Amino acid sequence: MHRLDRRLMHRCGLPRECCFILPPDLLARIADEGREGQRQAAIRTIAASASIRTRRALITQLVRFRGVDPAAFGLFAAPRALNRTVYDVDHGGWNDLPGRQVRSEGDALSHDDNVNEAYDGADSTYRFYKDVYDRDSVDGSGFPLISCVHFGVDFDNAFWDGGEMVYGDGSGQIFQRGSLTRAIDVIGHELTHGVTQYTAGLEYHAQSGALNESFSDVFGSLVKQYSRGQTAEDADWLIGEGILVAELGQALRSMSNPGEAFEGDSQPAHMDDYLDLPDDNDPRNDNGGVHINSGIPNKAFYLVATAIGGNAWEVPGQIWYQTLTQRLDPTSNFRAAAEATVAAAADLFGAGGTEERAVQRAWEEVGVLG
Amino acid sequence: MSLKLTVVRGGGLAGLTRQTELASEALPAGEAAELHELVEGAEWSGEAEARAAPANPDEMSYEVIVDDCGRTTTVRFTEQTLPEPIRLLIAWMDSRPERRQSIVPR
Repeated sequence: MHRLDRRLMHRCGLPRECCFILPPDLLARIADEGREGQRQAAIRTIAASASIRTRRALITQLVRFRGVDPAAFGLFAAPRALNRTVYDVDHGGWNDLPGRQVRSEGDALSHDDNVNEAYDGADSTYRFYKDVYDRDSVDGSGFPLISCVHFGVDFDNAFWDGGEMVYGDGSGQIFQRGSLTRAIDVIGHELTHGVTQYTAGLEYHAQSGALNESFSDVFGSLVKQYSRGQTAEDADWLIGEGILVAELGQALRSMSNPGEAFEGDSQPAHMDDYLDLPDDNDPRNDNGGVHINSGIPNKAFYLVATAIGGNAWEVPGQIWYQTLTQRLDPTSNFRAAAEATVAAAADLFGAGGTEERAVQRAWEEVGVLG
Repeated sequence: MSLKLTVVRGGGLAGLTRQTELASEALPAGEAAELHELVEGAEWSGEAEARAAPANPDEMSYEVIVDDCGRTTTVRFTEQTLPEPIRLLIAWMDSRPERRQSIVPR
C-alpha cells in the first residue's frame, strides 16, 4: 500500500472503512432509517462487503448506537448454530486483521496448535452459553465466531476487537509462549466481551468498564468450571492460570482473593481499597482501572457462588446472566449492578429467598451496598 | 547523536503496565544507526489525544517517548491507531537484548 494512503488511513482511525465508496455512517443510517428498498440495498452492501472488519464495524454500530436488532438484518440468519473460523494474522498488526483463513467449521485439525486451541475454545464457550443460558452465540443470533491467531510479534495480549477474538503468541517474558489460546477461561473472557457488547453495552472505562471486565471474568471462569464439571467449592477461581511466566505468578486474577494472583497484582477486594485512577488515555491508568477495580464485583460473585454452593453456572450464573442481558445499561456503576443482581435474584428465585439474601450480603461484604 | 526510545504499554487482558527503554548508546554502531533510521521513518507529528481512540475490551494502549538529544516527543496510541512504522519500531526494540524492561507498579 502506498505510504501516504496508509498515513491517511491512520488519521481517520477506522482503517478499512476508508475504502468504502459510501461512508459507513451513511450506510448505517440508510440500513436503519431508509425506505424499505434503500434499506435492503444498504444491508446487501454491508453483507457483501469484502472486508469482515467493515461488516462487523457497521453491524456493531447499528446494534450498539442505533438499537437495531441484529437478527432483523438476517445477515447471519442461515446457520443459527456454531460457526467458527480461525485466521492466521502471520505477525501482522491491526491493518492486517483478520489474516489468512486457516480453519473453518467442520475442517480437520490444523498442524498449528494455536489454531486448534482457538477453534476448540470457541466451541466450549459457544456450548456453555447455548446449553446453560440458551444463548445462540455472542449476539443471540448465531454470530460467527472468528479467532485471529499469531497477531503481532511476540505479542503479549489477547483482545476482543468488536467482532473478532485476537490472540498474540506471548513473548515468553510476560505471557508464556503460545499460552494465550490455551486458557479456556481467557477465551470465554474475550467472547463474553462480545456478549456484553450486544447486551448491557457497558462503556469500557471507570466503573462501567470494571463491570464489563468483571462479567468477562465471571463467565470466563464459569466456562472453565462448566467444561471441567467443577462446583464452586472445587473451582480455583483463577483467571488465566499458568499462562504468565512463572516468575510473575500463577494467574492474571483471583476472584476469591483479588490482589493475590501475581507479583504486583493490585486488585482491591473491597470498596475501601477502590483505586480511583484517572479516566484518560494514559496507558498507565487502564481506562480508569478497569482491570483493577473489577476485583470488587469479582469477589462479590465468588461470595454468592460459595454461599449458595453447587455449580456456580446454575443459580449464581443465572442471576448474573439475567443482570447482564436485561438489567444494565452502558453507564451502570457498581451500585446499579449490585441492585440489579439483587432484583434478578428475587425475580428468578423468589423475593426474600436465600438466593436474594446471599446476593445482598455479598455486595455488603465488599462494601458496595451498605 | 544520542537517541532514547521509551515505550509504555498498558491495559490488555492482564491490565499490566510495562515500560521498555532502549538507548542508542547501548547499541553497537550498526544497530544504533538502524534505530535512528526506524525513528526517522515513523511519523511523530499529529494530535496525541485524537489518536488514542477509545479502546476495545482488552485492547492495549501505548505511549511512545522519543528523546533525541534532550528534545522529547510523546505520542499515544491504541492498538487500533498504532501506525505500522511505529509497530515495527516497537517489535524491533523488543528483539534487542540491550533493552530494559520493567513492570510499572501502581
